[in-house]
Amino acid sequence: MRPRAPTALIADDEPLLREALKRLLSEIWPELNIVAMARNGREAVEHFDALAPDICFLDVHMPGLTGIDAARFIHRRAHIVFVTAYDKYAVAAFEQGAIDYIVKPVDRQRLLDTVGRLKVRLTASAPALDTTSLLAALSAQLNGNSTNYSPPTHVKWLRVAVGQTIKLVATDELDFLRSEDKYTSVMWHDIDGKFHEGLIRKPLKELVSELDQTQFIQTHRAYAVNLSAISHVLRGHNETASIHLKNRADILPVSRTFLHHFKMM
Amino acid sequence: MTADKSLFFYQCRDALQRVYAWRRVRVVIVTALIVSLPFLLTWQTSKWILISRLLLTGFVSLTIFGIFERWPRRLPSWLARWALQVAMVAIAIPFVTAFGYHITTMELTTPWWRDKDRLEGFGTFTFLGLIIVPWAAVAALLKQIKNEAQTQALTFALERSEYEKEAINARLRLLQAQIEPHFLFNTLANVRELVYLGAPNATQVLDSLIAYLRAAMPRLNTPQATLRQELDLVRAYCEVMQMRMPDRLQFSITVDEAANDVICPPMTLLTLVENAMRHGIDPAERGGKIAVTVSVSDGMCRAMVCDTGIGINKQNSTHGTGLTNLAERLQLAFTGKTSLMLTPIAPHGTRAEISFPATFASAFAASVPA
Repeated sequence: MRPRAPTALIADDEPLLREALKRLLSEIWPELNIVAMARNGREAVEHFDALAPDICFLDVHMPGLTGIDAARFIHRRAHIVFVTAYDKYAVAAFEQGAIDYIVKPVDRQRLLDTVGRLKVRLTASAPALDTTSLLAALSAQLNGNSTNYSPPTHVKWLRVAVGQTIKLVATDELDFLRSEDKYTSVMWHDIDGKFHEGLIRKPLKELVSELDQTQFIQTHRAYAVNLSAISHVLRGHNETASIHLKNRADILPVSRTFLHHFKMM
Repeated sequence: MTADKSLFFYQCRDALQRVYAWRRVRVVIVTALIVSLPFLLTWQTSKWILISRLLLTGFVSLTIFGIFERWPRRLPSWLARWALQVAMVAIAIPFVTAFGYHITTMELTTPWWRDKDRLEGFGTFTFLGLIIVPWAAVAALLKQIKNEAQTQALTFALERSEYEKEAINARLRLLQAQIEPHFLFNTLANVRELVYLGAPNATQVLDSLIAYLRAAMPRLNTPQATLRQELDLVRAYCEVMQMRMPDRLQFSITVDEAANDVICPPMTLLTLVENAMRHGIDPAERGGKIAVTVSVSDGMCRAMVCDTGIGINKQNSTHGTGLTNLAERLQLAFTGKTSLMLTPIAPHGTRAEISFPATFASAFAASVPA
C-alpha cells in the first residue's frame, strides 16, 4: 500500500469539462486527491513539475501545447490518461497502444474501468508505460501527416527555470541565449511583448544543437540569437558585427568565426 | 540579340501566314482562272501571259488588302478599316494592270500603249478588276466578321458552361460541409454538465446549439438567406463557444440597421467567424475577442470579422479551404463583384473582410416572378 493518497492533475481548456471530470472522479474514487487543474498543456507541465502527481488526465486538443506534447514532457513519470471528444485516428491509436483514454462526454462506466486499471497500476507501483514511440505517432496524426511520420528533429518548447518555478517557453518566443558556463540564460518575450529571463541547465552549444537550425544561430562563443528577433546587423571593425534586436536594447556581438552567417544576407 | 532576331522572324512569319492564308490564296487563283476563261477562246498570244497577269493583279490586291488590314494601327474615327481596305485595293487596280502589261511586253518593239489591241485589253481588265476585286474584298470581310461572331458565341457558351459547373461544385461543397464531431461532442459534454448543475442558462445554450445544428445541417435547398438570419446563426455559434470557454472568448456583433435585410449566400458570415475561432482563438492560450461588424454603403455590403487570436503569421499556413470556398461562392453568387481580404492586425490577430453588392430582401422578392 502506498503511504499517501494518490494524486492527480486534470488538464482541459474548457472549465466546465474540467469540473465535470473532477466531480465524476470524486464520486467514483473519493480517495484520489486532485492537486491541480490546468487550462492548457503548458500549465499542465508546469503543475506537473511543481507537484509531481501520480496521474495526469490530459485533454488532447488544447491551445499552445497539446495534451500529447505535454505527455511527452511528463514522459514516464506519471500515468497518463488522455481525454478526447472525437479523434478518429487518435482513438484507434489509443486502442492499439497501452495508453488509457476516455472520450467526452465522459461515460461513468467507462471511467470506472479506467479507474480500476489505474488503481492496479498504482498498487503494483509499476513505472508508467513507455509510450515514447506511440506518442510520436499520435502527435503526427494530430498534425494530419499520419502517412509518413518522421520524429521531430528539433525541440519546439523549452523548460526554463525562473527562480523556483519551471516555465515552458515556446521556441518562437525566444529572443536570444547567453552562455553562463554550464548553464544558459534564456531571454524571451510573451504574447504581450513583456520580457522574461530564465535559466536552462545545459551548455549553450548543446542547447543550440537541439533548436531549429534555420531559426537559431550562434553568433559568438557566448551568444545565440533567434533570427526573427533581429532588427538589424551593424558591421564593425576587424571582421566583427553587432546585432540589434527588435524592441530590446540588448546588442549582441558577432565574432569572426560566425560572421559568415550574416555575410550572405 | 538573337532573341530579338528570332522574335522579329516569328512576327514576320505570322504576318505572312495571316496575309497569305491558304483560303485567300485559293480564292485568288480560282477567281483568276474563272475570269480568264471567256478570254481564252479569243486569245491570240500566250495563254500563260493572260493567266499570269490576272494572278499578278490578284496577289497584289491581296497584299494591299493584307497590309491595310493591320496598318496603320490606329485609324481616325471617320474612316472605317473595311472602307480603307476596299478603296486602296480599287485604287491599285489600274496601276497593277498597267504594270502587268509592261513586264509581259518588255521584249516587244512597240510599247503596249501604242498597240490598239493591248490598250483595249488594258481597259477591259482594269474595268473587270475594278468590278471584281473590291467585291471579293467585301466578301472576304463579311466572312471574317461572321467567323469572329461564331468564335465569340462559342467562347461565351464555353464560359457559361464553366460557370455553371463551378456553381454546381460550390453547392456540392456546401452540402459536404459537415458538423465537426469534435465540436459536437465537446459541446454536448458541456451541455450535459450544465444540465447536471441545474444551470438556468442550460436551455438557452441548448437552443443556440439547435439553431447552429439546423443551419449547419447539409440541405439540398439553400434559399438565399438574409444577413439577419446569418447573424442570428453567428450569434448562436458564438454563444455556444463562449459557454465552452468563458475565460477565453469575448465577442461583439455590430450591424447597421439597413444591413439586416441584405441578401447573403448561406454560411457566409458563419464561415468567417468559424475560421477566426478555429485559427485565431482556439490555438491561443489566452483566447481573444471576435468582433463582427456589418455595414452598408454605396450599394455595397461590407462585413468584417476581427479576432485577437494568434494570427496568420504564427501559423504560417493558409486559412484553409473554408475561405477559398467562401470566396468562390461569393464570386458565383454576385458574378465577380466581390472581395475577400485577410490582413494581420497588431499586436496579434487577423481581420477578414468581405464585400459584395447589397441586394435587399424586399427588392429581391419583387424581382423574382411568382
